[in-house]
Amino acid sequence: MSDKLLNTNQIMRQVSYALALGVGAQVYFFGLSVLIQIVLACITGLIVEAIFLRLRGSEIKPAIIDGSVVLTAILLAISIPSIAPWWIIVLGVSFAVVFGKQIFGGLGNNPFNPAMLGYAFLLISYPVQMTQWPADYLSMDRAADVIFGLSNLDGLTGATTLDHVKTQLTMSLSIQELEFNSISQLWINIGFLIGGIYLLLRRIIFWQIPVLLLLGIVVMSTVLFLVDSDQFASPLFHVVNGATMLAAFFIATDPVSASTTPLGRIIYGFLIGVLIVIIRVFGGYPDAVAFAVLLLNITVPLIDFYTQPKVFGR
Amino acid sequence: MLKSKYNGGLRLENPYPVTEIDLIRIPLPDKVVLPMQQRIGNQAIPIVSVGERVLTGQIIATIDDQRCAPVHASISGTVVAIDEHVYAHKSRLKGLCVTIESDGKDEWVDTSIGCTERYETCTANTIYNKIRVSGIVGMGGAGFPTHTKVRLAEGCHTLIVNATECEPGITCDAALMEAYPTKVIRGIEVLLHICKAERAIIAIEDDKQDAIAALKKFCNNEKITIEVMPTKYTSGAEKLLLKYLLGIEVPTGKYASDVGVLCQNVGTIVAMFDAVVENRPLISRAVTVAGSAVKESKNLQVRLGASYDYLLSFVDIKEGSHRISMNGLMMGIELDGTNYSVSKNTNCVFVDQLEESKPTKECIRCGLCNTVCPVDLLPQQLYWYSKSKNTEKAVEYNLLDCIECNCCTYVCPSQIPLVDYYQYTKALYKQQVKEKKQTEIARERFEFRELRLERNKRERAEMMEAKKIALKEKMAKDKAKKAAIESALERVDSAKSVQGPLDVG
Repeated sequence: MSDKLLNTNQIMRQVSYALALGVGAQVYFFGLSVLIQIVLACITGLIVEAIFLRLRGSEIKPAIIDGSVVLTAILLAISIPSIAPWWIIVLGVSFAVVFGKQIFGGLGNNPFNPAMLGYAFLLISYPVQMTQWPADYLSMDRAADVIFGLSNLDGLTGATTLDHVKTQLTMSLSIQELEFNSISQLWINIGFLIGGIYLLLRRIIFWQIPVLLLLGIVVMSTVLFLVDSDQFASPLFHVVNGATMLAAFFIATDPVSASTTPLGRIIYGFLIGVLIVIIRVFGGYPDAVAFAVLLLNITVPLIDFYTQPKVFGR
Repeated sequence: MLKSKYNGGLRLENPYPVTEIDLIRIPLPDKVVLPMQQRIGNQAIPIVSVGERVLTGQIIATIDDQRCAPVHASISGTVVAIDEHVYAHKSRLKGLCVTIESDGKDEWVDTSIGCTERYETCTANTIYNKIRVSGIVGMGGAGFPTHTKVRLAEGCHTLIVNATECEPGITCDAALMEAYPTKVIRGIEVLLHICKAERAIIAIEDDKQDAIAALKKFCNNEKITIEVMPTKYTSGAEKLLLKYLLGIEVPTGKYASDVGVLCQNVGTIVAMFDAVVENRPLISRAVTVAGSAVKESKNLQVRLGASYDYLLSFVDIKEGSHRISMNGLMMGIELDGTNYSVSKNTNCVFVDQLEESKPTKECIRCGLCNTVCPVDLLPQQLYWYSKSKNTEKAVEYNLLDCIECNCCTYVCPSQIPLVDYYQYTKALYKQQVKEKKQTEIARERFEFRELRLERNKRERAEMMEAKKIALKEKMAKDKAKKAAIESALERVDSAKSVQGPLDVG
């Protein structure tokens, strides 16, 4: 009939393609190590998914080719530091697939965002490896050496901007005294923003979650900024740093674990945004996306229940 | 006029575009098979027997049920069989049919009964009766008897004529309006005469420009307005149409007649005109024959009971495997072949090229379905609860309000046959309610039995008690009597002993 509608597999593929610009920016700033992580993640994801489908007695092929496990793997691979050792991503993806997805019955049945569950698991278990980002662009073979443990990268790593700010602030420096170079963060966020707009235009995601998530970040950070601009970073800082755009367009919008009612999506997105700022500012970890998303995932049944639309004639 | 859009719905293009919408009268079929079971209500009882000669327009079956209409012979000829056939219904159930073999003469019975002069001079009751004996039912697909529906809406303020054509691909109403615009207008006047509504609105979608032009040309009654509305699927659903045209939202469980509106399909209007003004009972209808396997879609005016095979012999059908369906792609049903016959509510027969069925995937809760649901349900939640057979929860999420329009199924990226799940769950719920009622009755009976047994026991105990007391009293009395007797005897004895010596002496 009229316009061609996408099927589930195509949706998964389109989301993966939409990540390309942001990933490209990561590659530009950190080197091809990002791609090594993605390849490792995808291979691990497919193998683990296949094993678990086999154990559960389900058909393997249709689940493998639906693209959902690849998407989860990519999201996790681009969330972790590009120079993390190989076993980090292997462990993380395995955890995400098994405990984030398969244990609940596979695609469509998981209450949590699998990639974020994997990320939270890694961050809690291996905080050191999970916070060491390359300070500079790394060549392919150098990166491979580091990832596979053939050499170490002393002196070449640094913290992310968010992490840096947090550490410095605790040393009672004011925001204005800090110097940070967040040009890479800015461009990566712009990359994901463009990809996200593409998804919106293709009607693959709805506007409510990304827009309200960003609004939540802006509102919360503005409130804090107005309270004390020496202590708290500006709203702009929060929007262009960390995984903000990735979270807004690619992570919080995971339909399976997100709220599905129109009003519910608004509440869900806004609260994630608010939580991201709160956890970033007051929490113990550098970035807050994973925890904010997981916390809101838990509340989805509640939100959905109380935000049912008025049915025609009732 | 107050207009209020309803949410959801789909803008669908006609999948089988037609260049010229003509209503083609096709020759008489050799044989017709007329089903006795109608959409709802009891099965009509044949009043003819095998071997009997019948005339066109003669009533061959009736039933005293307000939900049914009588059945007429659609051709003249001989009744050759009264037996069971599989109905064109999802259930594939068999039902009684009367088969008539044509004599080719199309000889009519005298149908000039009741209101024979100008309808304006007839009472509403006479016209109701005329509509009833002419076998008029909703031609849009619902098949509900028109006389009952009109009677229910007595005292309504607005008459809505549904000319929206319920589904993409069906053009029979458009063809009918183009062919008989005057019948449509005059038919509306007849209905206005009996239902006393102040105004009539013809609701027609903007993709039917020729029909709109034809109607406008002949509409000279200031009570009748033609409302051109955007082409959107599910606009034809009665309650949604009401919301769009009048801004009235009919509450759940109520009907259009409850808010003072009578809604009639345009095909029904024409059939009613034929019945009331021209004394022609319902013996034929317009059917769209289309499909991806049909070279050129056609609208055929065909006698009721003609077989699909006969119908399809008037179009060119491409080679290959086909999927046969009736009453539309969205809400219609798929049939296992062409061995069926046209009934009063058959608005289309589609023959499509068989496509490979797409595999169903898991629901990813994308929520596309709730954006297209015209009644604002959450189809993904209903699916979740239907899949787990949690009928209670599904009903809590208003499953029973689903109009089964299949918009959600159409957009589902995982190709889940959502409405099939809902239909199943609805049936399951009905059964559970019935079972619950039965358990309730059984429980009540059990409790009453217990009560009765208890009462019997108590009564018996009381009776025993009473008897015991009576016995005791009796025994006490007896004892007293005995004592009296004994004392009397003693006295006698003592007297004897006093006298004794005298005797001895």
